[in-house]
Amino acid sequence: MKPLDDIKVIEFAEMVSGPMCGKMFADMGAEVIKIESPGTGDQSRRHPPFPGDIPHREKSGLFLYLNTSKKSVTLDVTRPAGANIFRRLAANADLLIENHPPGHLDKLGLGFEALHRLNPRLVVVSITPFGQKGPYRDWKGSDLIEWAMSLTGYNTPTMVDDPKKENPLRAPGHPAEMMGATTAAAAAMLALCHRERTGEGQWVDAPCWQATLNTAKVEMAVYAYRGVPFNRLRAGAGAGLEPLPCRDGYVYTLWTVDAHFEALKELLGHPELLEDDLFKTMKGRADNDDVVRLAIRQALLNYDMDDLVSRGQALGLPIGAVYTVAHAAEDEHLKTRGAFVEIDHPAAGSLRYPAQLVRLNATPSSPSRAPLLGEHNEEVIGRRLGYGAEELSAFRADGII
Amino acid sequence: MAMLPLEGVRVTDFSWIINGPQTALWFAAMGAEVIKVESRVYLDYMRIGPPAMADDIAGPNRSGIFHNLNYGKKSVNLNLATAKGRELAYELVKRSDFVIECFAAPHTRKLGLTYEQLKAVKPDIIVISVSLLGKTGLEPAQWVGWGPMAASYVGMFDAQGYLGGPPRQTGGTWPDYAIATAVMFHALAALRHRDRTGEGQWIDASMGETVIGEMPEWFMDYFMNGRDRRQRGNRDDFLAPHNTYPCKGDDKWIAIAVGSDEEWSALCRVMGTPAWTQDAAFSSQLGRWKNSSAIDARLNEWTRQYDHRELARTLQAAGVPAGPVLDSVEVYQDEHLWEWGYWWELEHHEAGKRILPGLPAKLSAIPKFNYSPPPDLGEHNHEVFSGLLGLTDEAIARLMDEKVIY
Repeated sequence: MKPLDDIKVIEFAEMVSGPMCGKMFADMGAEVIKIESPGTGDQSRRHPPFPGDIPHREKSGLFLYLNTSKKSVTLDVTRPAGANIFRRLAANADLLIENHPPGHLDKLGLGFEALHRLNPRLVVVSITPFGQKGPYRDWKGSDLIEWAMSLTGYNTPTMVDDPKKENPLRAPGHPAEMMGATTAAAAAMLALCHRERTGEGQWVDAPCWQATLNTAKVEMAVYAYRGVPFNRLRAGAGAGLEPLPCRDGYVYTLWTVDAHFEALKELLGHPELLEDDLFKTMKGRADNDDVVRLAIRQALLNYDMDDLVSRGQALGLPIGAVYTVAHAAEDEHLKTRGAFVEIDHPAAGSLRYPAQLVRLNATPSSPSRAPLLGEHNEEVIGRRLGYGAEELSAFRADGII
Repeated sequence: MAMLPLEGVRVTDFSWIINGPQTALWFAAMGAEVIKVESRVYLDYMRIGPPAMADDIAGPNRSGIFHNLNYGKKSVNLNLATAKGRELAYELVKRSDFVIECFAAPHTRKLGLTYEQLKAVKPDIIVISVSLLGKTGLEPAQWVGWGPMAASYVGMFDAQGYLGGPPRQTGGTWPDYAIATAVMFHALAALRHRDRTGEGQWIDASMGETVIGEMPEWFMDYFMNGRDRRQRGNRDDFLAPHNTYPCKGDDKWIAIAVGSDEEWSALCRVMGTPAWTQDAAFSSQLGRWKNSSAIDARLNEWTRQYDHRELARTLQAAGVPAGPVLDSVEVYQDEHLWEWGYWWELEHHEAGKRILPGLPAKLSAIPKFNYSPPPDLGEHNHEVFSGLLGLTDEAIARLMDEKVIY
């Protein structure tokens, strides 16, 4: 028994934010029916990576990952017959996940108010760049934009030496949409808790920008509590907290507190440059950050990554390796934990995928493969809604499914 | 006031710093009773360490970072290094639905907070353990560390740099926040499972694994093609121009992300259609993507003449996806965030009036969340130990003398 196996979800969403939210529900056992545009499908089907870099709508690595455990139906909801099928699906659903621009569903007659009249128990989750109200409501978003506006975006990368040359960077992938997706999934579960107690559905407004901004609580507080603007410069920061080169790669560590500084000295064989009495206190090290950092960087170059990490951890120093993705993908600890799962797919074949973001030990569930475009048209629109073979072919001929 | 969705749920929260408290914050804001168990022996570092004390005056109740992460909760003191302290902690656990802890595995064992130990106390307890790389598996399960170390282990920092450059760090402590919302979703699924079956469980959450699942382009490219993507700056797989560009002023930037031909034409119009934009190489999406460095060099020269916020408004009005890179002062000034209702105002007896970030989602049937002030250290000792556990005032005073309630 999976925790959400009695929850029915309609996902009318493309690319990352909405589909990731739908995936979280699907991988926990909910039935997620994904509605795609006839012919083309979700935009992410055209998004790299592809095996051998050859585009194929059933082989996008991004699509395959984001749409595990779902069913796919194709539906043109801009046509009355398509909208009608959408309404019939929504009438029997617990949750609708959508990520269209604000007002788009209203224009189709499928907005929250209309669906709520049809199914008062329905929870609708709208994931957008900026939210359903406010001056940026109708702005065009993009993952980079929501990220860059989020303060965490301003502060990436950290430890900047030359702010003129080092422009703010996005984190790898679609970080703002991912943060929007997980926030929306948590909020949707809370709306379902509310419904279990009151029988009442509701509308969840989950913007990616605000979700990402919510990760900058330290940077915000520096200004709100001290009146000092947060800046991204290295000066004044110090004490590690960045990838540091060693003999065969990089390590990540810090030496803010005395105990960690002492452990680091021990790890590095007590380099003479670090034995100065000035560096015995946190303040002394902060005031002489340039000297301390340089000495530590020089000493690190004499040692290998895995040796530093394993001896450093034994000394109680928080220190970790800076691996590449390829290294992490072959890492024995991560493999032992089940961080990756093997999934077979009729077009893409058998591949490893990242497993769920978080797993439950009493209810382990393994994601199943992503659907082919329109794979479940007959099952869902035909058998479940009761349209016959002739009606289905008429819908098909008409481009509705 | 509408009933909050988690009223009646109790959480005993042993967590500290960021990831556990951020998770518990969702529980608290949504109506659960969150009892934060703290001790003077090992204070939440966010109460004392980082530099965000109200008006630069030190004190355990004055830290803005602690406030941002801990409103809506109750605080009690328990010294878990004492047997009596652990016994009282177990009394709280017996009366709870959830336990949250985020210590490194050796500390979790020492403090008596492993799932096996807690399950023996309350068989259907749901235990949320948030850690660097999980609490099972090989040697890294025993490591001490914090969010960024998880990101560095799974390849995020290597992938974070400028094109072909060294690894860099993603801003703040991204994995701590990324895992908090992911855990919240799964914790509520576990609660649902318990309500249906009576079975509790352990959520052994790894920040590293959450980060892996949030950068699928990198991992799927490796699994499909054996390719290690590594650093790509702001290059997108599809969009171009797609970067941050300098604006007028000190360290001011604008982000622009153009996809379609319409958006490109609109951008060219806003620039006054200079001759370079008419190069045939830039007329298609693929052409722009292949020549993105050349376009970026031109755009850099153009954007630096303008104010980042004004230019973003102008570009958006013309239909170009763009946004200003906001700093810590500008986010508090931003009209959209106020109108959307992101902030709330705290009236704090030591720190005064302060602006705090609320939850980043709105629920139409729940207009108001529990935004009560962050607790002072031990503020709810009497309420919890007397009201919930039924200890007498004398017993509480004695436990304080014995540094158990400490």
